[in-house]
Amino acid sequence: MLPRMSRASLEELKALPTPVRPRLDAADVWVPDGYDVEPVVAGLSFPCAICFDADGTMFVAEGGSTWPTRPYMTPRIWRMSPGQDPEVFAVENLGGPRGMSVRDGYLYVSVKGGYHMRVTRHDLRTKERVVLVDELPSGGWHEPGGPVFGPHDGLMYFSNGSVALQGVVVPEGFTVDLAKHPHAHDVPGQDVTLTGNTVWARDPRLPFPFYAESGPFQPFGTAVTKGQVVKGQLKCNSAVWRSKPDGSDLELLAWGIRNPFGLAFGEDGHLYATDNDFEEKGERAVGEDPDRIWRIRNAQLPPGEVKEPEWFGYPDLCGDGLPLWHEKHLPIRGKAAEPFLADPPPWAGPAAYLFEPHTALGKLAFSRSDEFGHRGKAFVCQFGTYAPLNSNREKYLRNGFQVVTVDFEAGTHEPFMRNRAGGPASATPGSGGLERPVDCAFHPDGRSLYVLDFGNNTANKSYVVAYAHTGVVWRITKR
Amino acid sequence: MDGTAPGHPEGPYVLNLTRETWNEHLDRASTWLANVVTTQAAFRQALEIAVPKVEEPNIRRFLSEMLDRAQRHEEVAHRLPRVLGREAADGARSLAGTVMDVARKALDTVEGLAGGARGNWKDLHHLLLLNLDAMGAFAIAEQLGLALAHAELRDLAWAVEAEKSTDQLILQELMLEMAAVAILYGEKV
Repeated sequence: MLPRMSRASLEELKALPTPVRPRLDAADVWVPDGYDVEPVVAGLSFPCAICFDADGTMFVAEGGSTWPTRPYMTPRIWRMSPGQDPEVFAVENLGGPRGMSVRDGYLYVSVKGGYHMRVTRHDLRTKERVVLVDELPSGGWHEPGGPVFGPHDGLMYFSNGSVALQGVVVPEGFTVDLAKHPHAHDVPGQDVTLTGNTVWARDPRLPFPFYAESGPFQPFGTAVTKGQVVKGQLKCNSAVWRSKPDGSDLELLAWGIRNPFGLAFGEDGHLYATDNDFEEKGERAVGEDPDRIWRIRNAQLPPGEVKEPEWFGYPDLCGDGLPLWHEKHLPIRGKAAEPFLADPPPWAGPAAYLFEPHTALGKLAFSRSDEFGHRGKAFVCQFGTYAPLNSNREKYLRNGFQVVTVDFEAGTHEPFMRNRAGGPASATPGSGGLERPVDCAFHPDGRSLYVLDFGNNTANKSYVVAYAHTGVVWRITKR
Repeated sequence: MDGTAPGHPEGPYVLNLTRETWNEHLDRASTWLANVVTTQAAFRQALEIAVPKVEEPNIRRFLSEMLDRAQRHEEVAHRLPRVLGREAADGARSLAGTVMDVARKALDTVEGLAGGARGNWKDLHHLLLLNLDAMGAFAIAEQLGLALAHAELRDLAWAVEAEKSTDQLILQELMLEMAAVAILYGEKV
């Protein structure tokens, strides 16, 4: 059956056939005075990325296999041009698109799937697809970010999150699908010497849950020894790179960022990367780790001039720069972490901004419009917590589920879009509001912000489920 | 303030959410769900055939308890299309009528790993395969629940899938425990 995009009335959106998201109603969504909000697309499956071309064409990517990895729905990119019917512009293979940018007649896409993350380029006219960068180690938990283009140098910037959930591959990262990618592991951006600490976990792949010993930067079930050196690689993960737009002259800017899912340049010229905190569960549990946004200073250097990549702490430091095993970060559930790196590189923090733990940062966009307002501020999607799965602290249960503005200079943030009742719509019976904001993008007319809502993605103490056909695009317009 | 916008004059877009399209999805899903009934009924009937032949009291108790669960799971299988607002497909009823033959043939003729072994030990191996088949069908029903944004379908299927996963471990354990004496000494279960 071909996908069908058709028009509906706002009234019809209040009686949708999807039981876990039976209605959409902007009246349940709060935005500041002077702004209007409305749903503009409904029924998307696991959408991960949104962007615009200069003519107002909107691209929306459905992520395919996401969080968790099942069910897999078609990973595809929609093109919605003004005055034309929406069309499926591209279909990816198993895995799916995670980030997009349009530049000079091409759509650039970061894609996850299999053992590698890659960056592809699609000709907007012919739809020809070319792989620009490949073989970036993936196949695990965290996400690609970008690509975005440097306003100062025209280079392409992109990122790749860690394979492991907690610095070592363990069954706690169950939805990374250990069976599909048994050889996946983290790769450092610089040579590191290991302490020899490992974790013991039961191996869910075997007929009986035998114990397996695993060390950092190794596949599950592979131990390490004290003093073991793991060579740094250009193609690593938990990292940020830049290259020419054709993928050549790849240069590593930073590593040690657990999940650099959101990348954006601010009006101040700096490159910012969102990052998510460690989780409070399992064999290497961490408590009270703040979500954060990093400023990648190496992005300011001329191409080819980066002497050392910046290191932001993964797998051993929290967002505040304290070690995972610091008393402030001891977990109330799970086994506390031990150090992995015997000779950690200098820390490139502090973070540009720290948020409460478990807001689960998605992507971000900067306002460059006086007409829309908040010029210079970042609009940051807070996807929303997976508590009580990833932490059993009661206070985190409603963290996130909103878009906030961040003023880096003032060191403050404010809610910009959230449900009137707080939390996700699915937590409030009858609500037609927001579920999980994952990405946002400004329309080139400078009047509207489009917020991509991943849809119903519900966690309990044991697992998380995601429901297809519940993703939404919301538009917020300055009145 | 009320931040609700007047909306696009042509209205928002919906993807595959028109009643017509959605009904097509539900029809396809409910038609497929007949397979859950068929596979689960085959497993239940195979248990009904196998249990009376078991002499070892502990194994008989394990399998009898499993049969109780299998009957309950089969009732859930029949409910799955109904939660989508559909009756069980005609095909499911007619297929269910042939299930007894399927189960009997599975127990009587399928050789596989059990080839050459005497007695009813091979029943355990066949039950293992039949439960795997039915467990997979419930797992697919769970995926359909997730794809159709239907929590009730998903939850019903997942709860059975979880219990059948435990049953699968029990069957595997019983089959392996008895393997050596069945093959070497020709002992019955």
